[in-house]
Amino acid sequence: MPDFNVTDLFVSLTSRIGLNYEFLSTGYEAQIWRDGFATTLFLIVLLIPVSLVFGLVFAACLTSGRLWLSVPVRAFVEVTRNTPTLVQLMFSFLVLNTFVSSLVGGVQNNPLSPFFWVVAVVGLHIAALHAEAIRAGIEAVPASTVEAARGIGFSPLQILRYVEVPLAFRASLPAIVNNLINLVKLTTVGNAIAVSEITYASIMVWTQRDNVVSLMIVILLFFSLINFVVARLGLWVERRLAVPGYGL
Amino acid sequence: MRAQIQQPRTGGRILRNGAFVALPLVVILSAVADPTLGRELLQWVPYLASGFMMNVVIALSAMTLGTVVGALFGMLSLAPFRLVRYPVAAYVQLFRNAPHLVLIFATTYIFPFEIVIYGTYLPFPDWVKAVIGLAIPASAYVAEITRGAILSIPTTQWEAAKGLGFSHGQALRWIILPQCLRRSLPPWMNVLASITMGTALASLVGVHELLHAATDASTAVRRLDFTIIAYLVVMAAFFTLCYPISRLTRRMEGRFHAA
Repeated sequence: MPDFNVTDLFVSLTSRIGLNYEFLSTGYEAQIWRDGFATTLFLIVLLIPVSLVFGLVFAACLTSGRLWLSVPVRAFVEVTRNTPTLVQLMFSFLVLNTFVSSLVGGVQNNPLSPFFWVVAVVGLHIAALHAEAIRAGIEAVPASTVEAARGIGFSPLQILRYVEVPLAFRASLPAIVNNLINLVKLTTVGNAIAVSEITYASIMVWTQRDNVVSLMIVILLFFSLINFVVARLGLWVERRLAVPGYGL
Repeated sequence: MRAQIQQPRTGGRILRNGAFVALPLVVILSAVADPTLGRELLQWVPYLASGFMMNVVIALSAMTLGTVVGALFGMLSLAPFRLVRYPVAAYVQLFRNAPHLVLIFATTYIFPFEIVIYGTYLPFPDWVKAVIGLAIPASAYVAEITRGAILSIPTTQWEAAKGLGFSHGQALRWIILPQCLRRSLPPWMNVLASITMGTALASLVGVHELLHAATDASTAVRRLDFTIIAYLVVMAAFFTLCYPISRLTRRMEGRFHAA
């Protein structure tokens, strides 16, 4: 069992500089904590595509030129951007969830878990931010390019799919990466409705062990690392997609 | 074709001005429609208002503290000594990437509930800890903004100032900093909006602020329609606070890009 020895070595080394990681050698608490990390990572991996897909849909609605599409989406984007995510989450969980429960006849039949609501609220919140970035990108596509596409017989949807989105995506990539870093940070609001992501799991541990500082160091490093990876991936995608001579 | 492009703009303008009154209007209309609900709401309004005052106080104190520390760190991050530059860069990187909630938890649980200064016990309330918890990320963002603003001023400006006989300090005071200030105002206001919305997180550590007050009210009244209204009030309050900030920011950004 070399794994155990590494843990014990880590615990004894860190205890010498005054940090308390003793819970790592117990089964139960260490399991809670590991699951917390796993849940946070799962949330992030799930939320990135969800937010991007909805962001694209919202941006398409905003630039469609049809009032019945753009006005509701614009209203949603503005409300989402200017109210705290935590309030939106509490509202969704306490109000919308209750509606769903009464629709399907009782809480026991409600298929929507707190996890679902975190994904929905955070996903749509970041999607609203993406939509603004992509919309700005679409509006920055030169009118002559769009006219040329129309001239060779592209339909509005085809123009969006083959001309505007590819160029807009490249232009808005820095803003999108910024939003994704916000997304990583926002996953912690799940704590409020008992989704056992890393902060929730850590509270379970530190109420027993009173080792807030030790856990905080790991959590802060964990988020720094994730955001470093996200930023690096963004930079990599930016370089991969760069169009030579287009300046993007 | 022109009309199609123009339409969403006019629609947007109606919406932009309508947005201010839309949420409060929903609240007032439903309160009038059902008088029992209206009476309950009227009873709880002072409690909710006191909660919202706390949000404003936390946001303003956190931004003040964060701006002072952040501006200092931003200048230090351009210092010619590695011993100064590297720790500041590490601070900015670590806390810019940390969730606000984690920092609020950190300050709440790590700091003691009272501090002793020369034998007198001073209470250290939770809301002050929340202020520090939000001032930390604010300072990291502001440091980054300050650094970017100073770097964005071309070196020729310094040289021109020197040529006109300004000393280093005078050039900084009269030529560089005024330009920095104008450049960094829109991103600073973004941080302000973000920190203002972050104050809602303080409810999770038991600070009596608006979201906490709304939760209290809805548990006390125990009516679904009141719960909806209470949370709509919370949304409306934050919206009326943050929406003008974000609109002003966008207008300034637009003007800056045009210039």
